[in-house]
Amino acid sequence: MYLLFSGFALLGTGLLTATGFIPNLSLIVPALIFASLVVHCAAKLSSSSWRVVWQASGLSAVLSGLIVAFLLSSWWTLLPGALSILAVFSLNLNTRALPKGAEATLWGWMLVFPALLGLIVWHFAPAVYAFAMSFLHDYKIINQPVWGGFENYLALIVDPNFWKSLLNSFWYVVGTVPIGILIATLIAILLNENVRGLGLFRTIYFLPYITALTAAAAVWKWIYNPEFGLLNAILRTPGFTWLDNPNGIFQSLASLFHLELPSVLQGPSVALCSVMVMSIWHQLGYSVVILLAGLQTIPKEYYEAASLDGATWWDMVRFITWRLLSPTTFFLAVTGLIAAFQVFTQILVLTPTGGVLGDTTTIVKYLYDKGFRDNNYSYASAMAFALFVLVVILSLLQNRVLAKRVTYEI
Amino acid sequence: MKRKRSLSTWVARVTLYTVLLLGAVGMIVPFVWMLITSFQSRQESLSSTPIWSPQRLNPANWGAATNLGSQGGSSLWGGLEAHKTVKLELQFQNAPADWKPLAEIPDSGQSTDTSNMFSATSNSSVESRVIAVSTVGKSQVVTITNSGSSYFDNVPLRIIIPQNIELFSSSLFPDSRSRTDAGTVLEWNNISPGLLGYVLENYRSALKTQTLFGRYFLNSLITALSQVVFGLMVCSMAAFAFARIEFRGRDDLFALILSSLVIPGEMLLVPNFVTVFRFGWTDSYPGLIVPWISSVFGIFLLRQFFLALPAELFEAARIDGAGYGTQFVRLGLPLAVPGLVTYGIFAFLGSWNSLLWPLIITNKPEMRTLQVGLQAFIGEAGVNYGQLMAASIMVIAPIMLGFLIAQKQFIAGVARSGLK
Repeated sequence: MYLLFSGFALLGTGLLTATGFIPNLSLIVPALIFASLVVHCAAKLSSSSWRVVWQASGLSAVLSGLIVAFLLSSWWTLLPGALSILAVFSLNLNTRALPKGAEATLWGWMLVFPALLGLIVWHFAPAVYAFAMSFLHDYKIINQPVWGGFENYLALIVDPNFWKSLLNSFWYVVGTVPIGILIATLIAILLNENVRGLGLFRTIYFLPYITALTAAAAVWKWIYNPEFGLLNAILRTPGFTWLDNPNGIFQSLASLFHLELPSVLQGPSVALCSVMVMSIWHQLGYSVVILLAGLQTIPKEYYEAASLDGATWWDMVRFITWRLLSPTTFFLAVTGLIAAFQVFTQILVLTPTGGVLGDTTTIVKYLYDKGFRDNNYSYASAMAFALFVLVVILSLLQNRVLAKRVTYEI
Repeated sequence: MKRKRSLSTWVARVTLYTVLLLGAVGMIVPFVWMLITSFQSRQESLSSTPIWSPQRLNPANWGAATNLGSQGGSSLWGGLEAHKTVKLELQFQNAPADWKPLAEIPDSGQSTDTSNMFSATSNSSVESRVIAVSTVGKSQVVTITNSGSSYFDNVPLRIIIPQNIELFSSSLFPDSRSRTDAGTVLEWNNISPGLLGYVLENYRSALKTQTLFGRYFLNSLITALSQVVFGLMVCSMAAFAFARIEFRGRDDLFALILSSLVIPGEMLLVPNFVTVFRFGWTDSYPGLIVPWISSVFGIFLLRQFFLALPAELFEAARIDGAGYGTQFVRLGLPLAVPGLVTYGIFAFLGSWNSLLWPLIITNKPEMRTLQVGLQAFIGEAGVNYGQLMAASIMVIAPIMLGFLIAQKQFIAGVARSGLK
């Protein structure tokens, strides 16, 4: 493990160097530590065979040299790295002569290495990096980093647009994930009832999912068009605006009965709800296919036993299907929550400005606006980190609340 | 079969199919509307009631489109070649005996109105199309002749008639008809369209305005295919090691990799952009491809597939003298093909459909992907929804075709991802 951590230290420093935070020279120290540790570990693994020590140290020297070169200059230095891995692949014959444990270690780390390198550079290090960046003052890449302390977080707390976008994201998650799963479950259960033309139905329901979101959103924008859109023509509500409508959805429903709701109860804007409808449409087929696969795993004996006991169809759905489907539903809830928090494409295409008064600006849209439109990377990083904490808390909560209700057998 | 007894009553079955059919209609209507709009003329798409059968899909117009197209150039794509003449036949109601409509070529100054100030230039070499109207029996024939040697791929026409006169019939249905103070204005986008040029008018004009569409397509294809190929290589190697090789530190490492799932993608946007910027990868293929090659999801998914293979197989291979490399290439990979297909589909879809990342790291138009191009076009197209829908259809068509061909593998692959 300490090998792993020193590797992390190396890559972390390397990345900070490559991104201009610290001078290049400081790389050499962790690089040397890393290389020597690799050699040490390899030697320890099989003290019996000098050959292993030779191979492992050679490999580690090549790899660490390559990583340093990669981080210091440019991406094409990875090319020899890839070639050297291929070369070790051709060592296949020789490695059989190694002791079993050493062979496994050599091959294991070698096969994992490319993926690990990618994950470190593009997943782990950036997470640390985002955290570091969130303490800088108005960082715009080209300027020298200036320490700003907690100023971004303090600004975030009093930023009404941030809270508004958080609320919008919250409404979006609540409006798409549970409703989407419920509709999908209904359709999946019905499709599982020996329906004729199951293949055709499944294809039709699945079609939106494989449609590029940009194109799908373009159609919906056209359908929602207030003057010429299909929706208003069908509903016979000419001129009703869907996408530029900042009124709360509950308020809009209540005003049909001439009621006025207090502002906390007005709910998400009609515009945001229109985006949600489009998202549910887009995601539905995926959930249906996953749920259908989940339904196939429920043993038929349960239903036979239940029907012998005189259970109605609804009883079976409630007590057998719904409960035994819960692992699948749970899977969809977890993945759906994460995906819904990241919604961006639909928002950008349907409401490019983020809606009237920012009423469709979800958290990622706001992050995009702040980071890539206003180029305030440190502020965007602070927002991202706040979001990270939030997602972790929500996932934990979800695990606590939902995981208990997951039933694997009756 | 037995367990369905309770939903086998006549009423229940009817309700079941009604619900499913209504749902299916709801799912498919946006696609149908997209397709139909892409064949509508601009005026049809902007009418107050939806038009489900646009003129361009009416076979009655196809003959004329072919005929006119072959007069000017080719019967499929039309156009106006040098020294060719296109004749459009029109009949009017309530027209006086010696009356002729005013015909002109929009934006060119070519007109049959001799008092028109531009008519002086009508025979100059700059504009080599000549327009004339002659009366043949009951009908008026508009002829447009290419008197020069240049080629026109498009022959637009505008005819203005007094308000009391109505168009009775026309060999090619006008694309728009509007009433102004000057009279009724009839417009044709192209009177020498050819069959395909007529039906696919919006597609052609979308491609004409989006000259980089081919480049976007290529960019998307290169990005998606490389992500699939490299992603499969890198992830399957790691997945095999995690599933089948007992190396030191394996479990710790795997736990560490899985733990990165809690890092939300939006947190990585800014730092990854900074990294790409520092590497000088903005506006480049590596910037589009490399960050997405190693994927925790891919490693996890493929590991499940390798784990599901019987261990005895690998033991036997080992006894027969196969090293880990041979086991992976000769045994693991071929047996895990369903897993590779599943992850390949996800990687391809994810790359092909992604907007945010390419939007952030591309500035130059020629490095945009299809999605970014389409997103920009949505902003530019304004109310030209016919063109926009045509462009959207061209964006989704490759994936749709792939899906319809390999439907079973596709759906099975997606279904598998949920079971693991």
